[in-house]
Amino acid sequence: MKEFSVVGKSIPKIDAKAKVTGRQVYAADLYFSGMLYGKIVRCLEYAHAKVKRLDFTKALKVPGVVKVLGPKDVTSKGFNVSVLDLMCTPEVKAMLGDAEDQHIFTDRVKHQGDGICGIIAKTEEAAEEAAKKIKVEYEPLPVYLSAEESMQKGAIQFTPEKPGNLAFQLPAAMFPNNAYGYGDVDAAFKEADLIVEDTFYVPKQKQCQMEPHAYVALYDDYGRLNCWTSTQMPKCVEVKLATLFELPMSRVKINQTTVGGAFGCRLGLVAEPQVCAMAMAVPGHYVKVQFLREEDWLASVSRHPGKYWMKIGFKKDGTPVACDAHFTSNKGAYCVDASGVAFTTGAWLQGMYKWGAFRYKGDTYYTNQVMCGAFRGYGNPQTQFVMEQLIDRACAQLGIDPLDWRLKYHKTVGDDGWCLGVKYKSCGLGDCLKQGAEAIGWKEKRAQYPKETGTKRRGVGIGVMNHTSGAMPMLLEHTTCSIRLNEDATAEVILSCSDLGTGAHTTLSQIAAESLGFAFEDIHLKVGDSDASGFDIGAHASRTNYVGGNAVIAAAEEVKKQILARASEVLKVSTEHLELREKKVFVKNSDTFLEIKELCSRGVCAIPDPQTGKYMMPPGQIQAYVSYFPPHNSPPFAASFAEVEVDTETGVVKVLKLVQAYDIGRAIHPDAATGQIEGGIQQGIGNVLIEDMVYDSKGRCLNNNFTDYKMLGPSDMPELKVILVETSPDSAGPYGAKSVGESGIITPIGAIANAIYQALGIQFREAPITPERILKALKEKSKTI
Amino acid sequence: MKTRSITLYVNGEKHTLDVPVNRTLLQVLREDLQMPDTKYGCGLGECGACTVLVDGEKAILACLALAATMDGKHITTVAGLEKDGKLHPVQQAFIDVAAIQCGYCTPGMVLKTVSLLSHNPRPTEGEIRKGLEGNICRCTGYAKIVKAVQKASKLMNQDL
Repeated sequence: MKEFSVVGKSIPKIDAKAKVTGRQVYAADLYFSGMLYGKIVRCLEYAHAKVKRLDFTKALKVPGVVKVLGPKDVTSKGFNVSVLDLMCTPEVKAMLGDAEDQHIFTDRVKHQGDGICGIIAKTEEAAEEAAKKIKVEYEPLPVYLSAEESMQKGAIQFTPEKPGNLAFQLPAAMFPNNAYGYGDVDAAFKEADLIVEDTFYVPKQKQCQMEPHAYVALYDDYGRLNCWTSTQMPKCVEVKLATLFELPMSRVKINQTTVGGAFGCRLGLVAEPQVCAMAMAVPGHYVKVQFLREEDWLASVSRHPGKYWMKIGFKKDGTPVACDAHFTSNKGAYCVDASGVAFTTGAWLQGMYKWGAFRYKGDTYYTNQVMCGAFRGYGNPQTQFVMEQLIDRACAQLGIDPLDWRLKYHKTVGDDGWCLGVKYKSCGLGDCLKQGAEAIGWKEKRAQYPKETGTKRRGVGIGVMNHTSGAMPMLLEHTTCSIRLNEDATAEVILSCSDLGTGAHTTLSQIAAESLGFAFEDIHLKVGDSDASGFDIGAHASRTNYVGGNAVIAAAEEVKKQILARASEVLKVSTEHLELREKKVFVKNSDTFLEIKELCSRGVCAIPDPQTGKYMMPPGQIQAYVSYFPPHNSPPFAASFAEVEVDTETGVVKVLKLVQAYDIGRAIHPDAATGQIEGGIQQGIGNVLIEDMVYDSKGRCLNNNFTDYKMLGPSDMPELKVILVETSPDSAGPYGAKSVGESGIITPIGAIANAIYQALGIQFREAPITPERILKALKEKSKTI
Repeated sequence: MKTRSITLYVNGEKHTLDVPVNRTLLQVLREDLQMPDTKYGCGLGECGACTVLVDGEKAILACLALAATMDGKHITTVAGLEKDGKLHPVQQAFIDVAAIQCGYCTPGMVLKTVSLLSHNPRPTEGEIRKGLEGNICRCTGYAKIVKAVQKASKLMNQDL
C-alpha cells in the first residue's frame, strides 16, 4: 500500500480547537449592533385550517415592536424549500412536477407549525409578547394523517396541482408503467419455489441535530440581501432566495455559518425565506430569527414514513428470481423532495441483490404533518427494514444461513448499482461480511441462541447495504474549485463545500495537501462565502469528500501543470524532464531545482527589466480553476451484525453488541470515518427501536421535545466495533475513497430486526420495534406483527 | 417584572447586573454578557448543551437557573477552561481522540466531563456513560466522547 504523507492519517481536525473552546461561531451566536429580532408566528392549534382573519392591532402596540408581516405584506410567490429542482434540467423538472406550493406566510395552515405571520421587534421578549397578541380566526379543515386518508375520494385537495393529493409517483415518461426495474417479475414469480411477501410500516424519524435553527439576514445599502445560515447547500440557497425575491444573484450573499449537525434537515431552505422577508421589510437592519427547540419538530423536514410492501421470489437453492416492491409514503403538508425519496428507496433495493427481475413503484401523498424531506440514508433505512427481514424470512424457510445467502447473492463489480446502467467498479462487501461475522461470533451464536430458554432471549442478525457517493447520474453533480498560490507558495483552496460536523473541511484540506505535494499547514480552505466560491451543490448524497475531493485533486493537477510550465521556461528543460518534490521543481536525475516559492513570488512581483522588457520568471499569480463533474458515483457497501437481548417480560430490547464493517475504499481520515459510522449507528438503532414522531388524532405532535422523542443516550449504546475495510479502493474515488457520511445509519436497522427475529422467532412489520409492540406480539404468539 | 441586583463572577471576571427575576443564567450569559460559548439547545433542561460549572465543579443547566438566584456565584463556562493559552486536559483529550463533530454539544459535554472527573477521577466506562446521560450528542454516538473522558482521566492523573 502506497504511503501517503497526510491522507489516511487521523490528524487533529481543523475546527476542533475552536469548537472545544466555545469560540466557534454558530448562527445564534451572531450579534450585530442595532440588530432586530424576528419571530415566526406559527399555528399550533390546528394541523389543517384556513386563516379567516388576522389582526395585528394589539401586537403592533407592544413596545419594541417594529413591524408585523402577514401574507399580504410579503411576496405571494410560491416556492418549495427543497433544492431538488435545482439539480435537474428544466425538462426533467417538468416531468417530476415538484410543486411550488409553499409561501412565506400562509393563509391556509396545512400542518401544525405552519407560519402565518412574522414579527420584527427590538428584543426577543417584545417579539414573544407581540406573538401572543396576534388575533387569529381559523376555520378548521379535516385532517389527513396518512396516504390512505388523503387519497380518498372527497378528501380536501391540498393543491389543485395535485389531484387525489398524489404529490408524486414515478412518472410514466421516465419509468414505463410508473415502475423502476428490469425483466418480467410476474413471469419470474411463476418460476419461484418460495415467495415471501408482506407490508411494513416505517417511522417518521426526526434528525434532532443539536443546533436549533437560527438565521440572520440583512438587506444592506448596496441593495444586497445577506443571509447567515447553517444550511447544507449555500449555493442552492443563493439561487432559491434570488428567485424568490426576484434579485440578481450578484445581489444575494450567503454566509454559511458553522453547521451544528444537519443529517438532511438543512438540505434546502428552512426559514431563510422568512428571515429574508423580514430583513427586506426593514432595510439596513440586521434581523435575527432563532427557533425554539420545540419548533424544530414542527417546522423542519423529517424522514418519509409510510407503507412499504415487498414480495420476493426464490428458487429452492436461494436464487432470488424476482423482487417486487411499492413504497407509499406520507409526504406531509408540502411537496418537498417529493420525487427524491420516492425513487431512491427502490433504487437502493435494486442495487443490493442479484434479482432475476425487479419492479419498484414509489409514490407519496399529502398529509397534514410537517413535510418530509431528506434524512440520512434517503430511503435506504426504509428499504433496509423491509428487504433484510424478508430475506431472513426466506432463509429460515429455505434452511439457508443468512450470512451464506448474502455472500452468494449480493451484487458486485460489474453489476448495476442503484442507478441502472452505472455499474459497480469496486465492492468490498464480501470482506465486510466475513470480518463482521468473525467479530460478532456469528457461527457460534446462531447455533447457540435458539437453544436458549428463560425470560431473556438473545439473537444475532445481519443487515447489508449499498449506498452512493454523490447523486450522478440522477441529479446534477458539479463542484468548482479554485486553488490560488500565495507569494510564499501556500495555497488558498476555494470551494463551496460544507462540513456538517463530518470532518469534510479537514479531509478536503488533507486531499489538497496530498495532491499538491505541500505540507498540511500550507493549505487554507476558503469556504462558507458565496461571493468567493463558485458552484457546489452542497452536502447531500454523501458527496462532499468524494466529489469535493476529486475537484480539489483536479484543481491541484492544474496548479502543478502551471508550476511545471513556468519552471520549464526558467530551467529551459521540457516538462517531461521535471518532477515535483519537497516544494521544489527538480530536473530529473540531477541536483538542479527551482523553489516553487520563488516562481510564486516572482510571478506576483513581476517587474520587467526596463531595458529588455523581459521578466526574470514568468509573470502572473498561479491560480487554477476547475468545474468538476464526476464520472461515477462509487457506491460504498457495508454489513452490520447485531447481538440483542430481548426481555420477554418487559419487551425491552438491549443491543449488546453492534459490529459494522464498512467498505470505504480508502479512509482519508480514519477517525472522522469511524466517527460518522458510530453516529450513524446511534441513529439507526433509534430508527428501528425507539424513534418516531407521534401525533394526536387532530394532527398535533405529541413528542416535540427530547423527553418524549426518545433517542439513545450514552448508557443505551451497545458495545461497538467499527471495521474499516480498505481492500477494494474505487478507481473513481479520491485516493480510492468512497463515501461514509450517511450510510452508517442503514445496516444496524436490518441487523437488529433480524437479531430480534432470531431471538423471538417473530418478525416485526412496524418500526420502531417498541417494548409495547414486542409484548403485544408475545402475548398474541404472532409470527409477524 | 421585578428586577434584582446581582454580582456574578464568570470565568474569574466580576459582573454587576440588574436582572429581571425571570431571566435565566443562560440568557444573562449569552445576551447580557455577550458570551455565546454557552449554548442554547432546548431551553428546557433536557439536552445539557447549556451546562456550566458553579463554585468549582458543580455542573448545572444554565437554562434552568434563574440568574437572580446566582448572586455571588462563581460560574465557569467552557471559555474559562483555557489557562494562559493552555487547553484544559479535557479539551485536549476531546481534540486528540476526534470526539468533536458538529461541536454544538461540546461546550456542555466538556464541562460535564470536568465536573464528573472532579468527583470521580478514575471512572469506569459505565460510570462515564451514566455521568454523561444528561448531555445529548447526535453526531458521535458517544463512542469517542467516552474515549475522550478516559483519556482526560489518564492525562489528569499523570499530573498528580
